[in-house]
Amino acid sequence: MERRPAWSAQFTHEALQSLQPVRPLDDITPEWAWGGSTGKGVRVAVVDSGIDAGHPAVGGVQGYVAISEGSDGLEFSSEPHSDAYGHGTACAGIIRSIAPECELYSVKVLGPNLSGRGAVFAAGLRWAIDEAMHVCNLSLGTTRREYYGLFHELADRACFENVLLVSAANNMPIPTFPSLYSSVISVASHEEQEPYLFYYNVRPPVEFGAPGIDVRVAWSGGGYITATGNSFAAPHITGIVARILGKHPGLTLFQVKVILRALSANMTRSR
Amino acid sequence: MNDDNRTGDQDALDRAQKTIAQQAAEIQRLRERLSDERFAADLREALALATTVGTIGSPVSHDRLLEMIVETATRVISARASSLFLINAQTQELEFAVALGQKAAAVRKFTVPLGHGIAGLVAVTGQPMAVSDASSDPRHAADISRSVGYTPNSILCVPLYYNDQVIGVLELLDKEDTPSFTPSDIEILSLFANLAAVSIEQSRTHENLASLVGDVLQSLGGVPGSTRSRLDEGFRDFASRSSQDETYKQNLHLARLVHEIIWRGENEAKACQALLDGFAQYLRARSVSGGEPEVMF
Repeated sequence: MERRPAWSAQFTHEALQSLQPVRPLDDITPEWAWGGSTGKGVRVAVVDSGIDAGHPAVGGVQGYVAISEGSDGLEFSSEPHSDAYGHGTACAGIIRSIAPECELYSVKVLGPNLSGRGAVFAAGLRWAIDEAMHVCNLSLGTTRREYYGLFHELADRACFENVLLVSAANNMPIPTFPSLYSSVISVASHEEQEPYLFYYNVRPPVEFGAPGIDVRVAWSGGGYITATGNSFAAPHITGIVARILGKHPGLTLFQVKVILRALSANMTRSR
Repeated sequence: MNDDNRTGDQDALDRAQKTIAQQAAEIQRLRERLSDERFAADLREALALATTVGTIGSPVSHDRLLEMIVETATRVISARASSLFLINAQTQELEFAVALGQKAAAVRKFTVPLGHGIAGLVAVTGQPMAVSDASSDPRHAADISRSVGYTPNSILCVPLYYNDQVIGVLELLDKEDTPSFTPSDIEILSLFANLAAVSIEQSRTHENLASLVGDVLQSLGGVPGSTRSRLDEGFRDFASRSSQDETYKQNLHLARLVHEIIWRGENEAKACQALLDGFAQYLRARSVSGGEPEVMF
């Protein structure tokens, strides 16, 4: 039976493979990559269910856009909005905990119904690219095949315009977009708790593993819950990327991927 | 004299050949028509068979199969309660298709708006999710929990996909003996979710006459191309009209009822048969006596 992607099996101890360093590329240190950076000046879009700016774990949102399907096409509102479920707030809280001074933008594309979801999600992503966000956290995706081309095009555009997309892998035997594309940073969960611990997977399409199991996250209503999901792994990488960009502005996607790979916990380091 | 004869012969030959050609074309048309009719008859029969056998003959009713899938998942993963929800696209709500556990009966009467609680969220994001201290989460469908007097501590929820769409979610509550569901639980539940999704769509598919026709056409195979495309069109037209057809729907409903009854057990099956036999005999007798004019002496 062909090896099928399990929920997070590629990051278990048995499955993890050690990486051999390629010098001097893999001589990068965490200190060089993000030491001293708080993510200041980095624009981070959270494309999700909204963000509760008042939540203590979030501590403020710099900009909003809420997109929905109206009778005459898509409607955009830039009024401050809250989080419909807690999902977006959870992601924002994680990002904020890693890059405390980054600028958070809430792109609300998840509403209380399913209609037009793919189109609304695409519009949110397009907005983030148009607004020259530096990083986008996409803890969601679409599985509808008819959107394959559109998201591929958007992801390519983002890549060429230096808008880094960090996407939660679905890991069910259903392809989701854009997490599958090579032009995004795709993330699934590992079982450790350490927020800066991440692994690189030698067999993509899921590229990185970050904490996503039993993570204490901010939730709607001002509280916290302990949750498990690839949705909560992606924001860890988003936060780290924000710190990297805070220290080294203007890096391309491939440069950031080299840095992340070099600093993966399964990279063999000679000390 | 010879030339005239030859010309005459030639003409006769030409006419004869023309006639033969016309008759050959006629024969070809008749052959095609015969093959069409035979094909149509085959198709009618296959269709009737597929609908009734498919409905009556399947070993387990659709509802019971779903229940079995959820029961097995609940037992294998060691949870205390579970629910399977399906999305009602019209109302944008999740409806209970299966509910197991102590409060199952009470909980069944609620529907969950999409995006409400963990189940609603998973339906909207399409991403699996687990929570381990749900009782402290003020927003987790607290209204439903309060109404049934049961607030779960741990929740595991995975989406059901069919073709590329989320059609529902499968939710387990309260893992036995440990405070949270494990990643391997998530993977296992996803496998059960796939089974459930396939089972649901199989039953929906055969309500959709158009796809049933498609399946049947495929299984007959070997149909010549030109005939096939004409028939395809004709049948799709027929299918879309029939699926609105009340009689067809009633018949399908009837077949389902019979199926449900006979699978309850042997006694129930015999009782059902006796009932239907008796009723049919009564109707036959009634139509015979009603058709004859009263004989008066």
